[in-house]
Amino acid sequence: MDRNIYLVDTQDARGETVLDENLLRAVVKVNTLLTATITGCLCGLGLFAATWLSLNRGLPDPGQYMNLLGVFMPGYEVSPTGAWFGLIWGGVIGAVAGGVLYRFYARDIRSHVERFLQLDSDGDETWNPIVSIGGNALGIALGAVVACGLILTTGWLVLRGTADESVNARLLEHFLPGYSVSLPGSLIGAVQLFILVYLSCLLWSWIYNKIVSIRHR
Amino acid sequence: MAVATGTIASLLLCAATVILLIKGPVAGTDVGTHLRLLGIYLPGFTVTWIGSLVGAGYGMLLGMCFGSVVAIMWNFTHYLYITAMVMRASWLRLMVD
Repeated sequence: MDRNIYLVDTQDARGETVLDENLLRAVVKVNTLLTATITGCLCGLGLFAATWLSLNRGLPDPGQYMNLLGVFMPGYEVSPTGAWFGLIWGGVIGAVAGGVLYRFYARDIRSHVERFLQLDSDGDETWNPIVSIGGNALGIALGAVVACGLILTTGWLVLRGTADESVNARLLEHFLPGYSVSLPGSLIGAVQLFILVYLSCLLWSWIYNKIVSIRHR
Repeated sequence: MAVATGTIASLLLCAATVILLIKGPVAGTDVGTHLRLLGIYLPGFTVTWIGSLVGAGYGMLLGMCFGSVVAIMWNFTHYLYITAMVMRASWLRLMVD
């Protein structure tokens, strides 16, 4: 049987019930806003907390590595004032990344809604209470965001003219063979990072969906 | 979400440690000079085979915490938003009536 779905009673020219596009767009908009809020809060507060943790660990040079973030976030350093800069920068970057991530993910939302809300054999609308996560869509979305982040940060180091001094960025070569602090190197690294993130998301969503379906039984 | 995130974090931290151990030290330095700095925040973590297991345990724990926080925030913000929308709709209906 065809899976005709509907969120409200709307019909197309052939008289079949279809998704309410306006409602779907509104849901995507709300979820984008909320995802951006959550990731912004997590990144901002996370960086704020990490800065204070570094300050209070009693290390001889607490900002030895974290101060390097100041290259990408002007004003940031491991100090009480720098922690507030970290809160703002982390919030902004996290919110933008989260919003873009959800927008990418939501390109596949129609199929998720179709799985979630489907007609039973009698043609009645029934709720399928298992909300699954699309690993493919999430992998593409998160992989794209992270890969773009790597290209942008490496590009920034190259533009500043400090690529040769970026010994810490070069450490990525250990995990991303072919990566180097140069534009071609960042592209190779971005492709590898995309694949790594994509596979991780597939595994993550598989575990998540499996647990959810087991709990539903 | 907590279990899934914990598993991925655990695997990633364990894999990062194992990759460094397999590749061996870079000339003139010890293996995992930078990754071992995680030991400052994760007591007991070292770039050794046993350390990779300790790291996997920490990855699981921290990943689960992170996953839980994300899930709670996701549900909570949606709850707040939907509640606000319902209240607004009720208020508007009341005003119209």
